[in-house]
Amino acid sequence: MATEAAVDATATKGGRRARYHRRLGTLGLASPSLGYLVVFFLIPVVTVVAYSVGLITLTPRDDYLSFQPWRDFLFGSIYLRVFWRSVQMALAVAVISVVLAYPVAYFLAMVAGLRKYTLLLVIIAPFLTSYLLRVLAWRVILQETGVVTSFLQGIGLVGEGESIGWLFNSRFAVYLVLAYAWVPFVALPIFVTLETLDQALLEASSDLGASRWRTFRTITLPLSLPGVIAAFIFVFIPTLGEYVTPSLVGGVNNFMFGNAIQGAFLLGRDWQFGSAMGAFLVLAVGVLIVLFGRYLNVQAVAE
Amino acid sequence: MNPAVSNGGRRGLWAFFWLLVVFLYAPIVILVVFSFNDRILVSFPWQGFTTRWYHEFLRNSAMISALKASGYVALVTAVATVVLAIPASIVLVRRRFFGKGLVSGVLLAPLVIPLIVFGLALLILFNTIGIPLSPLTIMIGHVVVALPFAILTLVPRLERIPAWLEEASRDLGANALTTFRSITFPLLLPAVVSSFLISFTISFDEVVVASFIAGDQPTFPIYLYSQLRLPRQLPQVIAVAVVVLIVSVIVVVASEVGRRIADRRLERQIADFEESVA
Repeated sequence: MATEAAVDATATKGGRRARYHRRLGTLGLASPSLGYLVVFFLIPVVTVVAYSVGLITLTPRDDYLSFQPWRDFLFGSIYLRVFWRSVQMALAVAVISVVLAYPVAYFLAMVAGLRKYTLLLVIIAPFLTSYLLRVLAWRVILQETGVVTSFLQGIGLVGEGESIGWLFNSRFAVYLVLAYAWVPFVALPIFVTLETLDQALLEASSDLGASRWRTFRTITLPLSLPGVIAAFIFVFIPTLGEYVTPSLVGGVNNFMFGNAIQGAFLLGRDWQFGSAMGAFLVLAVGVLIVLFGRYLNVQAVAE
Repeated sequence: MNPAVSNGGRRGLWAFFWLLVVFLYAPIVILVVFSFNDRILVSFPWQGFTTRWYHEFLRNSAMISALKASGYVALVTAVATVVLAIPASIVLVRRRFFGKGLVSGVLLAPLVIPLIVFGLALLILFNTIGIPLSPLTIMIGHVVVALPFAILTLVPRLERIPAWLEEASRDLGANALTTFRSITFPLLLPAVVSSFLISFTISFDEVVVASFIAGDQPTFPIYLYSQLRLPRQLPQVIAVAVVVLIVSVIVVVASEVGRRIADRRLERQIADFEESVA
């Protein structure tokens, strides 16, 4: 940035002493937040890995220096299958969210005109309210004695005492609620890439005789792909470790990896096994970040 | 011809947009409506308007103390987060140094950690070094979760404040602290307020990390989560949910609108100033 260069230039004029002071200032400004995150974020996450292989022991049942929890998880349990099921479910949720959000982002960027920021706020506002309360709302709507079923019973489409099997404690309910929670958030990065897209490209394409569909397919869609990928990753990662929605609307058959980890800690009290699963999840996320990190331009989204 | 969308497509997109708005707001509206239904089951038929669920939750001392606990945790979290986020944002926007990519990576990393792993990580850490679980431990965790969001709220505003304003102040003899107090901070204030509110909201709602490291006093989301399996409690849980949802929608929309007005004013002032100099 030009301004930064100017600042550095003035610092050089002031000589070595000024530059030294400035470096000290940078260190002073950066260290509180960095120090905090090292102590309460990086060290704890590393501790999970250390604990999962018994470098630390906390409870009498913990093994000292042992890969047993990892062996149990990778070879001897159903939990690896729960992990793969979570991968599938998170993929499905991410796809549904993107498919619903893309037209809205396109609408806001290309059609809505001057009202686009106001309309964007209309879309975003629910996302900024309590996640737990929105899941609660869906639970009230979907459950066996809930709003939908009692309404259908009232008009006679569903018999008294009957319910709709796929509506609640089902895969459908998990997809519906998670997609509901993520759509506003997914629309945001896609909107940002579409809005910064150079409109002249579209006009050039149209002047050269391309149809709207062809223009979309060959110009708009490829150029908005970074936003789509960023949105996809930002949905996929938290969904992988999800446990609130599956436990409130999904039922035992649709528990995700987060439920397995939570169960190991809070119900099974097998902390080392839970830590191995947690460490595995962090590694999986790390691989995703390495592969797709360059698309995660969070700053553009924040603006 | 509009190369992006046909007239039919335009109408279709408008319709899709409003359908999605209905989808997004319908559950909230349904929750509000049924919080006034005079029936212990939250469902049809409609049995008359009542405010008794609201009265009941106001008399429910466990719920009120959970709300108070969350308010306290969220307040301290938000103050601490903003205090950490301001210098961090200044470093990210105003300074260039070796390893800056790594620093910004660490500052934003909490965005991508699955919260459940972070929760269990803190549980293990606090157990290892022997810190008893309490509201304080929840605050420690929530600051980590909120920090990247606070930074990402401050950075765009800071980028809009021209660095030459600060340089001019320094040239006129003000030290770094005076410059920050009289130039940077007043201009940054709208974003400081936004990041405070965002941090507060995140902490007030956070259940995953908190459920691992809460002591005996449950926060509001933890209490709510534990009550969901008791059908008798459901109507008053919904009443309190409605109050919290509506307050948070108002706060969020107001802060966003305020931030935009402040941004526009800043841009206009800078443009006016540059014009008068030229």
